[in-house]
Amino acid sequence: MDSQATPKTELLNFIPSPSRPPVVITHGFTGWLKKHLFGGFWNTLLTIAVFTLLYLLLKPFLEWSLVKAVWTASSRRECLSISPDGACWAAVIRWSNNLIYGRYPDPLQWRINLGIGIGIIWLLPLALKKIKHKIVIGLMAVVFYPFLASYLFLGGDRGRLHYVIASVALAYLFMLYMNIILIYLGKKQTGQYFESLIERFVPRRADLLGHLTFLLILSVLIAFIFRDFSLQDVSTDVWGGLFLTIIISGFSIVMALPIGILLALGRRSQMPVVRWFSIATIELVRSVPMITVLFMSVTMMPLFFPNTMDLNKLAQVIIAVCIFAGAYMAETVRGGLQAIPKGQFDAAKSIGLGYWYTMAFIILPQALRAMIPNIVTSFISLFKDTTLVSIIGLFDLMLMARNISIDKNWFGLHTEPLVAISVLFFIFCYTMSQYSQRLERHLTKGR
Amino acid sequence: MKKMNRILLIAVMAVCGLFFSLAQVNAESTLDIAKKRGFLNCIIGNSFVGFYTVDESGKWSGMDIDICRSVAAAVFGDKDKVKFKSVQWAQSFTSIKSGAGDMLSKGMTWTLSRDTSQGLDFLDTYFYDGQGFMVQKDLGIKSALELKGATVCVLTGTSSELNLTDFNRTNKLNIKPVVFDDASVRNAAFFNKNCDAITNDRSGLAAARSSAAKPSDYVVLPETISKEALSFAVRQNDSAWANVVKWTFAALLEAEELGITSQNIDNVRKNTKNPVIKRFLGLEGNLHKGLGLNADWAYQVIKQVGNYAQVYERNLGPNTPLALDRKGSLNELWTRGGLLYSKSFR
Repeated sequence: MDSQATPKTELLNFIPSPSRPPVVITHGFTGWLKKHLFGGFWNTLLTIAVFTLLYLLLKPFLEWSLVKAVWTASSRRECLSISPDGACWAAVIRWSNNLIYGRYPDPLQWRINLGIGIGIIWLLPLALKKIKHKIVIGLMAVVFYPFLASYLFLGGDRGRLHYVIASVALAYLFMLYMNIILIYLGKKQTGQYFESLIERFVPRRADLLGHLTFLLILSVLIAFIFRDFSLQDVSTDVWGGLFLTIIISGFSIVMALPIGILLALGRRSQMPVVRWFSIATIELVRSVPMITVLFMSVTMMPLFFPNTMDLNKLAQVIIAVCIFAGAYMAETVRGGLQAIPKGQFDAAKSIGLGYWYTMAFIILPQALRAMIPNIVTSFISLFKDTTLVSIIGLFDLMLMARNISIDKNWFGLHTEPLVAISVLFFIFCYTMSQYSQRLERHLTKGR
Repeated sequence: MKKMNRILLIAVMAVCGLFFSLAQVNAESTLDIAKKRGFLNCIIGNSFVGFYTVDESGKWSGMDIDICRSVAAAVFGDKDKVKFKSVQWAQSFTSIKSGAGDMLSKGMTWTLSRDTSQGLDFLDTYFYDGQGFMVQKDLGIKSALELKGATVCVLTGTSSELNLTDFNRTNKLNIKPVVFDDASVRNAAFFNKNCDAITNDRSGLAAARSSAAKPSDYVVLPETISKEALSFAVRQNDSAWANVVKWTFAALLEAEELGITSQNIDNVRKNTKNPVIKRFLGLEGNLHKGLGLNADWAYQVIKQVGNYAQVYERNLGPNTPLALDRKGSLNELWTRGGLLYSKSFR
């Protein structure tokens, strides 16, 4: 361009620029279809082939499970007379109470609902943004919640200590929610009202002591209110169904991590006794199948105890599953520990941290974060492995489902219950895996 | 160093020995232990149609369940004071030996080896069964001896499997067994024509047949190739307890023989002049003293559980999946040509 403007003496002719080619729609549903499924000859062919295959595979299943299915009937014969080659979901529906609660007495099932509900309510604040000290909430849940839940599930006279701990658990839950409400209202938390009082006597950690004081007052109050409260005794041998599956897997999932961490640290320890003990435990447990461990715990253990002692089968099984899961978890955690560069240890040492501080604040957070997918994988497989307890006669979801096929009315019906519990298992396992992915994204944010 | 090791070894063995001896010390009779505990521990299996299953309401029901309930009724006067412990096959023996169970009633066949080498005392047989075969009707087979080269579905680890092998060997049939560990899966395989025949106790065959979509498509062959006396057992060398269990079952048979049912028992008790019945119901004499039970123990058993015929009807009779005809079978009273015979209540 010339720096000097050319004098405009004649009209400029309008020359249209060549039109652009039409826009290829790459967004929206049709765009997506075109781009991914029908982009080119081979792609289209493949799409058609896959869809035909899916149709051929799914059609009989859908026909069986939905189109020709029977939803209400009172016996298998009735099902067969209505629709001989459809699924008979009526059996699963009739048995749904057993599948969920096992043989727990009907009028007392509210206790299970309440117990599980309290557990969910307790963990809900972990998803709230404004809440701090989530580790404390989680730890309190792990330590105290089992006492409260077992108090509800078992009923009967469980002794004074159990009662006191259950009261503390309930008190903590109340305190937690009071604090949450106060935080969202922008007010001081419950414990902070005691701070000035406490500071007069104890100069240090007044905030912590304030919370503890409030917890103590609330616990005493709750223990006093419920002093005459008693629940009917329900023995563990009527526990069953999904409830039992959740109890066994929940317990062992929670216990697996601490056991695993201790064993993994033990295996890398410099102390020979600790190291050999850890190695022996891990290798011994890992080298036998879980069913063997279960058998050992229920058939061999009673032989070593005097026969007046009535061993609780559920407790035996839970201990066995915890040890088993812990041994596997130990190796997963060790994998994470191995991945931490030596510089981290040196750095921790150089700023004067001891062994436990180094582990707790430097090494383990990194190791566990790196191992989240593996840890959750073992949780998921543990959840599914608990179905093995059906073999030793605990009426978990699996055994309950199989029991439908020998019920008087539904005799011989075994496919539908298995399909139904497969769906249930899928829902649980998929939720766990989704949660782990969310957790991973959350933890790796800002790195 | 070697000496150290030996001392250590001896110490470990001593500790183990101590544990075992603790487990073996059982001076007290199970009867007293159970009375002190307040309920009965009964060993059953996971599930066995007609004998022990969980029903829709979550309660145990079946023949073995009723046997255990009747013992509870005799000892505690309450048929519900019993805890059922369902155990795997391998655990059956240890759970009795360890004292985890007071009695075992899980459809177990009374055999010499089990009676002599497993620490059990078998007491009486409550159901006589035998192994048979069931085939697809359209095969046109009339006898088990025609099963030459057939594939036969069988449950693994059971005596059925061993009997099948024996039968195969003696008759040189070249049968190909296909093993399963779950009865409903085995049945499904049979109904889908994956095997020509299934073999099981005849009661099990009847159950399998009734679970088919069209039961008339299948026939049970006439041969019975084994003796299966389903019996209950208690720990070895505990006569006081064995007496209680044995005579409770005898009471079920005696009541049927005397024509006493759970419905008419109150009436009979009020009006009877028959000294045999009076003795049986504890109105006269003191038969109960020898057993260490209450005078009305037999009354409680029949009132709460019913007599043998009622128990049979409820669990194995025509209105159940097994629909086993009692008439003409071995499970009739001796007066009608069966094998069930109660010893004298005197």
